[in-house]
Amino acid sequence: MSEHHITPLKTYLVIAGALFCLTAVTVWVSYFDFGSFNIIIAMGVATFKATLVALFFMHLLWDDKKNLTMFIMSLMFLGIFITVTLLDTGFRGGVNPEVEYPINKRAAFYDSLPLTDTHGNPVDEHGIDSHEGDEDHH
Amino acid sequence: MSHDNSSPDFLQHHFHDVDQQYETAKLGMWAFILTEVLTFGGLFVAYVVYRSWYPEMFVGANLLLDVNKGLLNTIVLITSSLTMVLAVWAIQQKKQKLSLFMLIATFLFAFMFLGIKYLEYSHKFEVGQLPGEYYSYMGPEIAHLNNPHIFFSIYFIMTGLHGLHVAIGMGLIAWLIYATAKGNLHSKYYTPMEMIGIFWHLVDLIWIYLFPLFYLI
Repeated sequence: MSEHHITPLKTYLVIAGALFCLTAVTVWVSYFDFGSFNIIIAMGVATFKATLVALFFMHLLWDDKKNLTMFIMSLMFLGIFITVTLLDTGFRGGVNPEVEYPINKRAAFYDSLPLTDTHGNPVDEHGIDSHEGDEDHH
Repeated sequence: MSHDNSSPDFLQHHFHDVDQQYETAKLGMWAFILTEVLTFGGLFVAYVVYRSWYPEMFVGANLLLDVNKGLLNTIVLITSSLTMVLAVWAIQQKKQKLSLFMLIATFLFAFMFLGIKYLEYSHKFEVGQLPGEYYSYMGPEIAHLNNPHIFFSIYFIMTGLHGLHVAIGMGLIAWLIYATAKGNLHSKYYTPMEMIGIFWHLVDLIWIYLFPLFYLI
């Protein structure tokens, strides 16, 4: 056990600092609307953070590369899992529009749900000033 | 290779030497991490599929989550990852006391994470933002959206499984605190601390994805 790599303290502190900064960046960026790029930016930042955690905190950078191989393999299989599933679910309506219908249909129990205020108490649809919701359990 | 100390008491008899024992433990840990990635992977696939089916509903429903609490939990978890890695760093340098202190800090941050999660969950139980058929929230900002109960099903299952990992991690870290305090772990043998550290960083790594997916986009 004498030959283990000992990472300098500074490396850990710099990586943690970078993780905090990237967290701030991803929250700040979320207040702007880039349309469909929102997801790409957020996932890009998350993947960069995850890479830092895996390489430095999980020591994959200095480890025997078989461990890194195993980790990357798990991500590859996850990629296959996502891709193949989306190839099915993404194109159901294209082949047969009737198959798409049950997906977009609203679940039946919504028909019996009363409208609520932001505290989850039912509101009277006829009079907005009604306070009947107050006797709800707390 | 430490041939001068070929058979220390922490070397199991079925291993050739301490290096082989260490590398074997690590490979086993990474095999476990692989299964963990695929366990959560199934849930990530569910998220991607349902998000592709209900894009507006996901964007509307995630506004109901409290970004501040999610951000606070992200900071707490990254800090706990740092203290965990510093616990391993300290024990490598024979700083037992510092290592013990860092482990206790990690444990407390984990506890804090679950505390904040509890506040979030209890608020959702109160207003009826619950999974599946238990969903009853029809507030003005969401009443027009299609099937928001699906968002909360995925939210509760993913953050719930993640929270379970945090709780299990707390149990493991508690054991590390005990073993370090007793002197069973030291600069020559700290394999369990490093392995539990890898587990703990995985918990952090998964939250790094959960936070933007649920709270931000």
